[in-house]
Amino acid sequence: MRKQSEEMQSGGLISMIDVIFQIIIFFVCTASMQDNSHDAMINLATAPHGKVEKEKNPLQIEIEINSRGLVTVGRSPLTDSELYAVIRKAVNECAPMPVPVIIRADGRATHTMVRKAMDECTKAGVTQVRIAALKEKGQ
Amino acid sequence: MARKKRRQEWHAGELNLTAMIDVAFQLLNFFVITTHPVDVFSNLDVFRPQPEKMITKQEEEIPLLEIFVFKDGYAMSKKPMELPELDRKLERISSNSKDSMIIIKCTGDSTQAGLVNVLDLCAKHELGKISIFSL
Repeated sequence: MRKQSEEMQSGGLISMIDVIFQIIIFFVCTASMQDNSHDAMINLATAPHGKVEKEKNPLQIEIEINSRGLVTVGRSPLTDSELYAVIRKAVNECAPMPVPVIIRADGRATHTMVRKAMDECTKAGVTQVRIAALKEKGQ
Repeated sequence: MARKKRRQEWHAGELNLTAMIDVAFQLLNFFVITTHPVDVFSNLDVFRPQPEKMITKQEEEIPLLEIFVFKDGYAMSKKPMELPELDRKLERISSNSKDSMIIIKCTGDSTQAGLVNVLDLCAKHELGKISIFSL
């Protein structure tokens, strides 16, 4: 009788350890997937003195511009008019709060490419933008 | 004696610790090898004024500082200069007043890295009132 209960206890412990490992694997995998929200091909210029954003604002719009001038928001390529529509919609929804707009442009992108996105922001009523840069590269 | 026997029975049987530690170390090795440290990003705040906005009389009184970003260099007060010299100038300006309004004018063929370099120097010297104009 006692042996049976000991077997049950140890069996429960093994399953618990199994489940814990499964949970660890799940969290590790999903944490790395979260990082994929940014285009890995964009090489940001370095700005070691810029301030680090501690908390990500859920309302923020991140405009990504690669070295060829392709503008994307949330990994979706957008034309100038579509970008304007996205920002305008966010501005209307967040009013009177300002919409935080972050421009993540490749260091090799020319200002002409970045200017288009900035102009669409200004047209949509966003006059303060944030330029994303790399503060510290992971080793 | 009976107690000792019972303990031996417990260890002998059901939970194989050696195998579990083996698996745990395998997992640890896997994660250490596959994970890489994440990059730390910074944000540099700038204003992008509307082109039709007129400069008011009050704004004219604030000391303005113009920095030009070209494809292959920088200029301040119409004088071409390299980044270290610009750094020294901005340090001097910052020591006088941190409220100076800085206007960064970028040419179309200048790179984003060039603009970020200037913004980084402004952040270094705590100069926060920055506007970007396109030429």
